[in-house]
Amino acid sequence: MLILGIDTSTDILGLALMESGQLKGEYNLSLKRQHSEKLLPLIEEIFELLGFEAGNLDGIAVAVGPGSFTGLRIGITTAKMLGRIFSIPVKGISTLEILAAGAEGNYLLPLLDARRKRVYYSFFQRMENELFLKAINKAASAGISELPEILSKYQDQEISIIGEKTAEVKEVLAKNNFRVRVFRAEKNHPRAAVLARLGEDYLKSGQADDIYQLKPAYLKIPQAEINWQQKYGSK
Amino acid sequence: MSYKDKIKDKDQDIYILALESSCDETAASVNKNGLEILSNVVSSQVDLHKKFGGVVPEIASRKHLELLLPVIDQALAEAGVEFEDLDAVASTYGPGLVGGLLVTLTAAKTISLALNIPLIGVNHIAGHIYANFIANPEIEKPLICLTISGGHTDLLYFEDLRGYQILGRTIDDAAGEAFDKISRFLGLGYPGGPAIEKAARSGDRDAIDFPRADLGDSYDFSFSGLKTAVMNHVHNEEQRGNEIDQNDLAASFQEAVVDSLASNLIKAVREYKVESVVISGGVAANQRLREVIAERLKEHNLELYYPPLELCTDNAAMIGAVAYYQYLEQDFAPLSISADPSLKL
Repeated sequence: MLILGIDTSTDILGLALMESGQLKGEYNLSLKRQHSEKLLPLIEEIFELLGFEAGNLDGIAVAVGPGSFTGLRIGITTAKMLGRIFSIPVKGISTLEILAAGAEGNYLLPLLDARRKRVYYSFFQRMENELFLKAINKAASAGISELPEILSKYQDQEISIIGEKTAEVKEVLAKNNFRVRVFRAEKNHPRAAVLARLGEDYLKSGQADDIYQLKPAYLKIPQAEINWQQKYGSK
Repeated sequence: MSYKDKIKDKDQDIYILALESSCDETAASVNKNGLEILSNVVSSQVDLHKKFGGVVPEIASRKHLELLLPVIDQALAEAGVEFEDLDAVASTYGPGLVGGLLVTLTAAKTISLALNIPLIGVNHIAGHIYANFIANPEIEKPLICLTISGGHTDLLYFEDLRGYQILGRTIDDAAGEAFDKISRFLGLGYPGGPAIEKAARSGDRDAIDFPRADLGDSYDFSFSGLKTAVMNHVHNEEQRGNEIDQNDLAASFQEAVVDSLASNLIKAVREYKVESVVISGGVAANQRLREVIAERLKEHNLELYYPPLELCTDNAAMIGAVAYYQYLEQDFAPLSISADPSLKL
């Protein structure tokens, strides 16, 4: 089973090819706003380097955010088209789940910077003998200062914090007597290999997405809609 | 891995899937040999944006992503074509809204990579010009084309449909932009073209003699001097305590724009021995412009062509028509091509 993982949700462009549980290769490149120019040339390159072609694919895993809307649409459009052309399954995976799945610990708090002292977060539990992490809190945004309250039931557990803004979050949680665990640089970015591995696990267990419905985890309605609702009420 | 040895020449049938998402229409088409349109699917989002009084880029981009696969599926089905039958894939890459452009451009790149067929990046403005050739395949070459909208004013010479030479363009405002600015100045509303045209119908176009830019031998256009003249005229009249007839003002202003456009066009017709004359772009809908140009073309025994309404709005068939001629020139884009929101001809 050959899986391509595509992540354009953050500044890092992630690409990985996984063949039946074996990582064939992976790119994690901090390219910022160049995802549009670089994604397809890099897909072509990774296939060429590893001796595959697009037609060999058995499935696609794509990061669905939270993240840059424009970046997400580039990755998801690519995944949808490949899924459509080759009639192969596609699985959209939360960028937060990719962060959590790549780190150690039983309680995992992956974070992405949402600016203005806010973060996008999820809260996962790693269960013994379970293939997938269990989402205790689904992806949402919160003020960093609200996290102790949100996680209050887990104060006696060690919580792994992974991703962006970890120093700030660690400080706030430690002040509130939480036990926290932080990681070195390489764990704090979503890794394409983790995405591809998750994709393979999901697709093997039959959990594919409908490519016609697949879209980014927007977590925010467009600003124009917010303004309109403030002026005229919803609907 | 190269598609180079699959490239056909113009004696063979060439099928192109074309995509367009530069504004608020998601569109896909399949055409055969350029001007034969096998399908032309347009999904408009106009109703979604109406309540905001204009296109909201983020809402448009979200909708393009949703509509992408259904629109492509329908275009292929209506044309009776499979992905494997395609010889090339094309997408608009500018001008337009960057978030929207990236949806079909990324889709086209993926199709190009997946099927190992050439990718063709098309300029949306060229698409509007080629809409003429779809509607009127009998148009004889060589020809002169004046393409005018809120974003551009270009005078072009086509030896054949494989490419064009830019004879002149505006050195300041686009013609449509001048209409918008004067309409706003006079409080006539947006978009300015139709508003000015409506007011002008009840006015006297000889009431005020506004200046026409004199750019010597060049085919370039300029409208900023005219704009200033209109504003100065209004201020002077107001200072003298005179009442201003908005309709006369609109008619005289429109006449000055139309005269500048038509004069340059006729100058080019005299210089280049052409068989036809074509206009395109939003301002080409102006009835007075069509009337004046058609009248002045009579002595040259030339007919004026403009696209029908259904091909005036954004569609992918016109993008596919341009793409075919780029295909013949092997004018292909690399997978690294990006959207260019302010792309010019």
